[in-house]
Amino acid sequence: MNLQIKPILTALRRHKSGTILIALQIALTLAIVCNALFIVHQRVERVHRPTGLDETNLITVQNRYVGKPDTFIPLMKTDVATLRNIPGVESAYVTNAFPLRRGGWSTGIQTEPDKTKDSLPSALYFVDEQALATLGVKLLAGRNFNPSEVVTVGPQTTPAPAQVIITKAIADKLFPKGDALGKTLYYAKGKPSTVIGIVAKLTVPWIDFDHMDNVTLMPVRFDSGYQQFLVRTKPGQQDNVFKAIPKALYASNRMRVLPEKTGIRTFETIRAAAYEADRGMAILMTVVCAVLLTITAAGIVGLSSFWVGQRRKQIGVRRALGARRSDILGYFLTENFLIALGGVIVGTMLALGLSQWMLKYFEMPRVSFTYVAVGVLLLLVLGQLAVFAPALRASKVSPVEATRA
Amino acid sequence: MFAYYLQLGLRSLRKNPVLTALMVMAIGFGVAASMTTYSVYRATSRDPIPQKSSVLYNTQVDAFGPENIENGEPADALTYIDVTAILRAHKAPRQAAVYPVSVSVIPDDAGRLPMREGAYANSSDMFAMFDMPFIQGHAWTRDDDEKHASVAVITKDLNDKLFNGGNSVGKQVNLDGRLFRIVGVMANWSPQPLFFDVPNTGGFDEGAAVYIPFTRAIDLQLPTNGNNNCVKEPEAGWDGYLHSECVWIALWTEMHSAAEVATYRNYLNGYAAEQQRAGRWNWAPNVKVRDVMEWLDAKKVVPKESTISLVVSLGFLVICLVNTVGLLLAKFMRRAPEIGVRRALGASRSDIYAQFLIEAGAVGIAGGVLGLVLTGLGTLGTTLVFPEDIARLATLDPVLILLTLLTAIVASVVAAFYPTWRAAQVQPAWQLKSN
Amino acid sequence: MLKMTHLAKVYRTEVVETYALRDFNIDVKEGEFVAVTGPSGSGKTTFLTIAGLLETFTGGEYHLDGIEVSQLNDNARSKIRNEKIGFIFQAFNLIPDLNVFDNVEVPLRYRGMKAPERKQRIMDALERVGLAARARHYPAELSGGQQQRVAIARALAGSPRLLLADEPTGNLDTQMARGVMELLEEIHREGATIVMVTHDPELAARAQRNVHVIDGQVVDLSEEPRFHAHNHAQTARS
Repeated sequence: MNLQIKPILTALRRHKSGTILIALQIALTLAIVCNALFIVHQRVERVHRPTGLDETNLITVQNRYVGKPDTFIPLMKTDVATLRNIPGVESAYVTNAFPLRRGGWSTGIQTEPDKTKDSLPSALYFVDEQALATLGVKLLAGRNFNPSEVVTVGPQTTPAPAQVIITKAIADKLFPKGDALGKTLYYAKGKPSTVIGIVAKLTVPWIDFDHMDNVTLMPVRFDSGYQQFLVRTKPGQQDNVFKAIPKALYASNRMRVLPEKTGIRTFETIRAAAYEADRGMAILMTVVCAVLLTITAAGIVGLSSFWVGQRRKQIGVRRALGARRSDILGYFLTENFLIALGGVIVGTMLALGLSQWMLKYFEMPRVSFTYVAVGVLLLLVLGQLAVFAPALRASKVSPVEATRA
Repeated sequence: MFAYYLQLGLRSLRKNPVLTALMVMAIGFGVAASMTTYSVYRATSRDPIPQKSSVLYNTQVDAFGPENIENGEPADALTYIDVTAILRAHKAPRQAAVYPVSVSVIPDDAGRLPMREGAYANSSDMFAMFDMPFIQGHAWTRDDDEKHASVAVITKDLNDKLFNGGNSVGKQVNLDGRLFRIVGVMANWSPQPLFFDVPNTGGFDEGAAVYIPFTRAIDLQLPTNGNNNCVKEPEAGWDGYLHSECVWIALWTEMHSAAEVATYRNYLNGYAAEQQRAGRWNWAPNVKVRDVMEWLDAKKVVPKESTISLVVSLGFLVICLVNTVGLLLAKFMRRAPEIGVRRALGASRSDIYAQFLIEAGAVGIAGGVLGLVLTGLGTLGTTLVFPEDIARLATLDPVLILLTLLTAIVASVVAAFYPTWRAAQVQPAWQLKSN
Repeated sequence: MLKMTHLAKVYRTEVVETYALRDFNIDVKEGEFVAVTGPSGSGKTTFLTIAGLLETFTGGEYHLDGIEVSQLNDNARSKIRNEKIGFIFQAFNLIPDLNVFDNVEVPLRYRGMKAPERKQRIMDALERVGLAARARHYPAELSGGQQQRVAIARALAGSPRLLLADEPTGNLDTQMARGVMELLEEIHREGATIVMVTHDPELAARAQRNVHVIDGQVVDLSEEPRFHAHNHAQTARS
């Protein structure tokens, strides 16, 4: 097959509008598709971001006590005991927040008692000695809390217990030499907390946070009417425990609200809810890409067919002058390739422009070159596939056409 | 002639069903994608209270100082100290403090479980300011505010649940074991975006079922159910909290003239300057008074996802149009011989324009109908793509239906301009030359 | 009826200027049947396209039915084509997507005629060419001779003052050509003005008057040796 690029270009110059339309469509499609695929990639990556937890067999309970007693601590203790006594429950504890809850408490950590600047932000999880087991988080160094270390903190008070467990991320940032264990941190002015343990990974409750892995576990019972319980079940017991929880809790104390939709949820539900918008965006962009590529391919088929129809006589003359079928096929494939090439060159610039614009207005990361390259390849292949049928039809034009008026 | 052209157009479209289907699909999908995402965008960017959005103003006074805020934007809420001082000064005709609380409603029937309901603690003026729709009774009075009265306004839904929809004015509602006298029942009310509580809800939420006086909620030491931000640690206890530099209360005012707004702003600046002089703050006054739409804009209520998908689907529509331009060009130019003959037989250029634009218009209508069906499916499918609070706002109303059809027709006629222009350029003589 | 004086038509490209017609003079009276003959490339088709207002010209004057047409805009020219001129093309030029009835209707539509009158005229014209029974047929279902008769019906339907025919029998076999020619003669007898371009001397002989064109100019045949025309007549039109 001899590829006569120059005569093809000359012919294209005589069909400017059709050429420009196909190239433009390919360019715009490339611009949208590679950005959209990049968004899909990012969102899918986010949706699967690990929390550091063992997310299977984990149930969350959102509980609000009714009424305003002097203290909620006894109610909380009873409830934790009730949950731990449900058959099939491995462990349970009461807390204020957990990963992907999208609501919680953060504060700045200082390494000196009075310094008020340059603190390191950290999410705070109030826990007890069963928390590590329930979350399925492993200690890298140090020890777990003792039940005796758990202290009560009142509302509108900044908690600052004597012992804390921090994530490796915090330890590495504050103590780059790796000697965080046993060091003193300040979560409230003048109140020292000693690092007694370091966990490998645990994420903050929010899904958009500058320091996703900065978490401090505090042995604290927070005296408030609004509490979260986390329950780890024995394998295979999740469904039974799920059903047993509301019964057991209402049986021990009716004066509470477990909200209908958000009261008792498995961690799978929590994760799905947290990344709802991301998953939706990924679905939307995938659909857009699929439809867009289909429409572009259909457009190429339509225009190429017209083109072939218009040039039947010319093709007949070529055939009469000795062109083989493969020459005609090659002619149209090459022609489409040249147009698509022009399209993807313009499209690459448009794609980068669009990415730049989204970076500016939506603070989205710049599209990676891999995605542009994948998009370019995708469209070149799509173009060849789309033009194949019309080109094949052209190659079947009989030399007799040359003689027809 | 319109009927003739339409007849010719339909005949020509029937002639190439595949090409026609391609064009109709391109227009249909393009329009449906942009209309579906537009319906979400429209829902998230709309004016929640059009009749009053230009006279309602949110108040921000910087109590944190330039080091603790970003880009000079004061915190979203105010401290209790500032709210009470500004309320007391009464520089705007109507003003209301508001913060979200969470209450458990305990039904009288001991057999029923308590219900958790969203609630707001607010000043009496808020009901009139926000045109909140009463179906029984009325709002509580400023006098009730003064007396820290134990009164409540509930919504229709809660009234249905507690009193089977009967007249409950004067009856009691038990909130966390405390009794409140119901003074009014209002229709379920949750303007979207929930403009007066954007910082705590992100703008999209179901709204509250119970409203109680701000002064009473403070007495009862009800903490905010929303965000609480402190730059300094508060002193211990509720009183310490009230006198802290923690921000958690929103303050709205209603003002009807530029002069009123200027007076109010001057007052706030004076107040902030006074705090600076008194040594409470060591920074220059930083005050923001924004009306509803300015406030929603500043708080970026429209979700990023909503804007991105609108942009992407508009790009999608453009591609569909380019596609249609190409297909129409192919279709029209294939008929160059016919055009030459028609021109020779006396058709003027405008006759050719009319004939082909009407044909394109027919494609537009077909595309619009397909687009409408797809948009309908799309708005149903928004729950797959957008969070429920936002997706439920995207609906196929008459305005959207009209807009969909109009977009489709305008889009296809715009797409037809170039191909039609080319068609009209076909010379009548052309066909006479030896072919 | 049709009067051209010192008419010129120049085709300009970047490289050359080609005179298709130069100092072209012709005067066709009302009711005449004129054959324009000449060799290939002599300019006779250019003459016809200008006469039919399908193309503009570069110099000189052209009066059609008393109107000087050089200054008319596209719309006015379209109107004259529609109302005063009937075309009969060598390649018939029927619109393949329209049936016989709809094809004949095309010029009447552009005239904005009411439906009953249109129908009457279409049926009369088809009657005239003997194809009333084929009104619902599509061009592809007709023979060449029938197609040309439909084209003649289309030209006649609007009762034009002037019929322009370009090699009307060029695409037909002898028998069909004869039929079409007889039809034209009959139309002429009824009072129509006909200008026919042809390179066929036999056909030209049946017209009242012959005008010979060579190199874009009308020449007086009496001064030109007859064989000249014959020579050229042998070169078939492409």
